[in-house]
Amino acid sequence: MPLVTVAVASGRLLDDSMRTLEAAGYLTAAAWRSTRRLILPCREPDVRVLIAKPGDLLTYVEHGAADLGIAGKDVLLEQGRDVYELVDLGFGACRGVVAFPEARAAEWESLSPIRIATKYPRVTERHFWGQGRPVEIIELRGTVELAPQVGLADGILDLVMTGRTLAANHLVEVAEVFRSTARLVVNRMSLRTRAEAVQAVVERMRAAAAARDPSSV
Amino acid sequence: MARRERWQQLPPGMRDLLADESARARAVTGRILSCMRRWGYREVVTPTIEYFDTLVRGEGTEAGDRLFKLVDRGGELLALRPEMTTPVARLVTTHLRGRPLPLRLAYAGQVFRGSETGSGRLREFPQVGCELIGADTLEADAEIVALAVDALAASGAAECSVSLGHVGFLRGMLEGLGLPEEGALEARALLYQKDFVGLRAVLDRAGAPAARGEALTALPGLRGPQAIREARRLADTAESRRVLRDLETLIGILETYGVGGGVKVDLSIIRDFDYYTGIVFEGHTAALGFPLLGGGRYDRLFEGFGAPHAATGFAVRVDRALAASAGGDGGGEAPDVAVAFADGARGEALRLARSLRQQDLSVTVEILGRPWDEVARGALAAGAPRAVLVTGSRAVVREADGRERSAALADLLRGGPGHGGGPCPS
Repeated sequence: MPLVTVAVASGRLLDDSMRTLEAAGYLTAAAWRSTRRLILPCREPDVRVLIAKPGDLLTYVEHGAADLGIAGKDVLLEQGRDVYELVDLGFGACRGVVAFPEARAAEWESLSPIRIATKYPRVTERHFWGQGRPVEIIELRGTVELAPQVGLADGILDLVMTGRTLAANHLVEVAEVFRSTARLVVNRMSLRTRAEAVQAVVERMRAAAAARDPSSV
Repeated sequence: MARRERWQQLPPGMRDLLADESARARAVTGRILSCMRRWGYREVVTPTIEYFDTLVRGEGTEAGDRLFKLVDRGGELLALRPEMTTPVARLVTTHLRGRPLPLRLAYAGQVFRGSETGSGRLREFPQVGCELIGADTLEADAEIVALAVDALAASGAAECSVSLGHVGFLRGMLEGLGLPEEGALEARALLYQKDFVGLRAVLDRAGAPAARGEALTALPGLRGPQAIREARRLADTAESRRVLRDLETLIGILETYGVGGGVKVDLSIIRDFDYYTGIVFEGHTAALGFPLLGGGRYDRLFEGFGAPHAATGFAVRVDRALAASAGGDGGGEAPDVAVAFADGARGEALRLARSLRQQDLSVTVEILGRPWDEVARGALAAGAPRAVLVTGSRAVVREADGRERSAALADLLRGGPGHGGGPCPS
């Protein structure tokens, strides 16, 4: 059995995660581009990579089924798991914002309670509680932009990268809640029981991320 | 699809234990308590329910959020204990007030966390632990860590070790940064969340010297034989240096205890700063992603109960110890002997059952009046090592391999051939 397992999230972080693992010397391009396997062997026999759903990734790491993982800060904020967050890998940059329909943006300050549709119910709750504003949270799985257009919510709290999706749906940003990039996280026990092997992966990933994007790390 | 009835389900985070697992849990608990007793720690039992105020007094007001609460008849707020240290502190400062110190106490019981949700987290789980109250010496710290190593071995979990750190080191490092109060609070919170990326950002923003930021964020790597030497290079406050000296002395004492090999210095251990005041430690095994033991020194908790006792202790999570051990000692769900009897031989059968039970064997007696062959087949298939048909002064014994032999009841009663030699459940 391989000594160290690195979990990678499918979805928007997958390509950059794999490229970083490639740059760190763990994967070959061929190994991840041409396969449907969920567990990939590495160039080093004591490391393997597994691919999990973004929402499940931290579960693997928290329970120690994976020793390390690459997760978006947005998911870390939302799930609040007991893992070590060690390296900002720099890629996957995006922001969590509150957005309102253009036509109703002026009401944003005064609405109370405010109805927010989101994939991030805990982040939303913390944000509005922190501001002392009553909030009604409508949890959705995706295409959150739809909700204000059909009267399901007043506004949304969601990730934006370019802002194009917001614009296409006649939404405007009214507040920034958090900034997110991909983070290297580690199971708290793996850091102790397999210290050397895990620390080696951390350092090589840190170096690979710094080489790809010197502004990170 | 059939409608899912609520009565068939358990509330989230609750578990049933079936016979095999229950037997293992009890055995693990018993072994750890025995181990503690051999070190002079006597078991006390406190109630599951306490006043909310009592628990909050020990755990801090924030802890109130994660308690299971209920309202008493008079409207008083009650809560289920989330751990055992606070109830023990209450007991020590009431019933045991004025007793000569130090006190060595042990406990075993279920604890409850109201707010834990998702990812298979339990809201009720069993803990076994101990507290050493009224001693602030390194000798006391050493005793409790050595006992933790012993308790882990007794738990049966494979390949355990203990990681030993100190909250004073981190606290000293943080104070050395001279952050403004808000920044210091934020840095502490981030450290507690193990968010080293965020910590680095806060330190940079607050204008902390780069070298110190570097030192703090290098923490997760500070472990193993070099940890203290490495840490001394980074430690630039008197507090941090004192802590490192203490840890070194402590490791020396632990080597004298003969447990040095099972304990590793690990300054990256982060447990609740507001609760712990000195050493902190965790026990773990390669098989498990969570620690199965946690503890440390908590010299401030007793202040809340009007008695400034220094104290140190730890607790073992029995469920995790079980998950990390290979099984085996559960004894199975089958009895050691299944007894059936022919018409008119009830008296002899019950006499045999009583006699075997006195030898600490588990015995079932046939109560459905089924034919012998059916009883014997069923018992052996369930894992019983043998079944006995009592016919009067004689009996038929069927062994696990299916062979039958005849025996005199008197021999069986004396624990003769085939009996008494069986595995005796511990």
